[in-house]
Amino acid sequence: MNRTLIVAVRTAVMIAIAFIAIFPIYWMVMSSFRTHEEIFKYTTLSPELFLPVEWTLQNYRDIFLDPSKPFGRYMANTLFIAVVVTTLGLIANAMSAFAFAKLRFPFKKILLTLFMSSLVIPYEVIMIPQYLLMRDFGWINSYMALIVPQIVWVFGIFMLVQFFSDIPRDILDAARMDGAGWTRIFAKIVLPTAVPALITLGIMTFLNQWDSFLWPLVVINEEKKQVIQVAISSFQSLRNISWGKILAATSISSVPILVLFLFLQKYYVQGITMSGVKG
Amino acid sequence: MKASRFAAYDKQESKAAYLFIVPAFLLLAVFIFYPMVRALIISFQNYNLIAAQSSFAGFANYGKLFEDGAFGASLWHSFYFTLIVLPVQTAISLGLALLVQKKFRGVGFFRTVYFLPVVVSFAIASTVFRLIYNKDYGMLNVVLKGLGLPALDFLSNPDISMLGIIALCIWRAMGFVMVIFLAGLNNIPDSLYEAAHVDGASSVQRFFRITLPLLKRTMAFVVIITTMDALKIFIPIYITTSGGPAGSTSTVVHFIYETAFKQMNMGYAAAAAFLFFFLVLVISIIQLRLFRTDVEY
Repeated sequence: MNRTLIVAVRTAVMIAIAFIAIFPIYWMVMSSFRTHEEIFKYTTLSPELFLPVEWTLQNYRDIFLDPSKPFGRYMANTLFIAVVVTTLGLIANAMSAFAFAKLRFPFKKILLTLFMSSLVIPYEVIMIPQYLLMRDFGWINSYMALIVPQIVWVFGIFMLVQFFSDIPRDILDAARMDGAGWTRIFAKIVLPTAVPALITLGIMTFLNQWDSFLWPLVVINEEKKQVIQVAISSFQSLRNISWGKILAATSISSVPILVLFLFLQKYYVQGITMSGVKG
Repeated sequence: MKASRFAAYDKQESKAAYLFIVPAFLLLAVFIFYPMVRALIISFQNYNLIAAQSSFAGFANYGKLFEDGAFGASLWHSFYFTLIVLPVQTAISLGLALLVQKKFRGVGFFRTVYFLPVVVSFAIASTVFRLIYNKDYGMLNVVLKGLGLPALDFLSNPDISMLGIIALCIWRAMGFVMVIFLAGLNNIPDSLYEAAHVDGASSVQRFFRITLPLLKRTMAFVVIITTMDALKIFIPIYITTSGGPAGSTSTVVHFIYETAFKQMNMGYAAAAAFLFFFLVLVISIIQLRLFRTDVEY
């Protein structure tokens, strides 16, 4: 009797929290399908609050067809930057991780310590000089500013080093005997064994870029070149913009990511766990 | 002597290693280490982008910070935010982890649902919550009014505006911390619980005598990263309240952003950033120490 009561309370609590977790997302998506009048119409508790009465795609049409705020363009910009940073980042970070994990060379310890020490540096401190550097390079309002400084990610290197360490040195030596160069060994032996780790790191990098806010806010001022997160935040500073449009914008830029996450959940969670275990 | 030391390394291998490291190293040097040094230098200068002048200022920027009420207030807001978020979020996340730790039918569903807010970007979550918090049309107040409760005006009441941001941040981060706790919980061997069960320990005793002590490493990690992230809170502030109402939610990073990129006062902002960096570093070291001495039982 006591046991069933505990289970009942437990389940009720779990469902209540699940409701809290999911409700803002649900509300965002549902409201994006409402007409402008409808959003402000229901201000008392009623079933109409939870489901649109008159479903419409007008909000989506509006955000994609508005020439002054080209939302499709923002999405394409962000996708482009995220894909380039993820690709280049995986290559550069995996290369150095491989050297640190498996190769023997002078000053390895010092170099690795130097790399790791950068993890202590908070982004907020280097943001100002980084901005000045972008000005000196002439990269303000250029995608170079959003791509090049973002490629190297020491946390990613750290993660891959741990992963590569498990590859037996014998395999690499055997390949050397057969006359394979290090580049070949890296591409043909090391990378294929590390695919799960690379997927994890790839997802994390991609999401970081997709969500990136502060840096693009600082270095991109040109409307057409803006990325999605900053564009959304600038939507709502316009005084008379409808909620429907804002919510259509937030929905269209987070629902694909949510769906993607459902498929790749395992890898993503693994990445967080790895960071937590080693600390 | 030196030659023989290096002879121990395969020349080709060393060369390959350096070539593998060079891209990452150069990027790190140019975009992380050099800016760090330059930040330090700028913090000792009068460096204003609008006036296009820069001159040596000594400790003037730092001295001014100590007298600047706006900076002091922003520091207090960051700490206030952290002091609430740290215990509340940690407790909620640990509770969630305990709820979904055991395998039962539907556990995967709950784990996924609790984690979903993490996948929503901070900017989007803030935007959506800003609408939900709206005094007249926001969902929160519609529901509160419907239940006969007083309305909460998170966006324009300075007394509670920070609480609204805190709720939003916990909503978004609890699933993330839950996953870290889950990994920690799974590292605790079942045999310990079984032994305690045989000895007749209640579930409360098991939690305080086994789970919590053995979770110390995970707890240390969670406390340190939560503190760091909380002290640096910026995006929700910028989007929901822009530091208002009446400056009640202006945090340190918001202060740095405004000073550097609105007033273009780079030197002063860099000094604030450096001072803040040292504070965060000291706090992290203290936390690390606290957990380390505790672990040795």
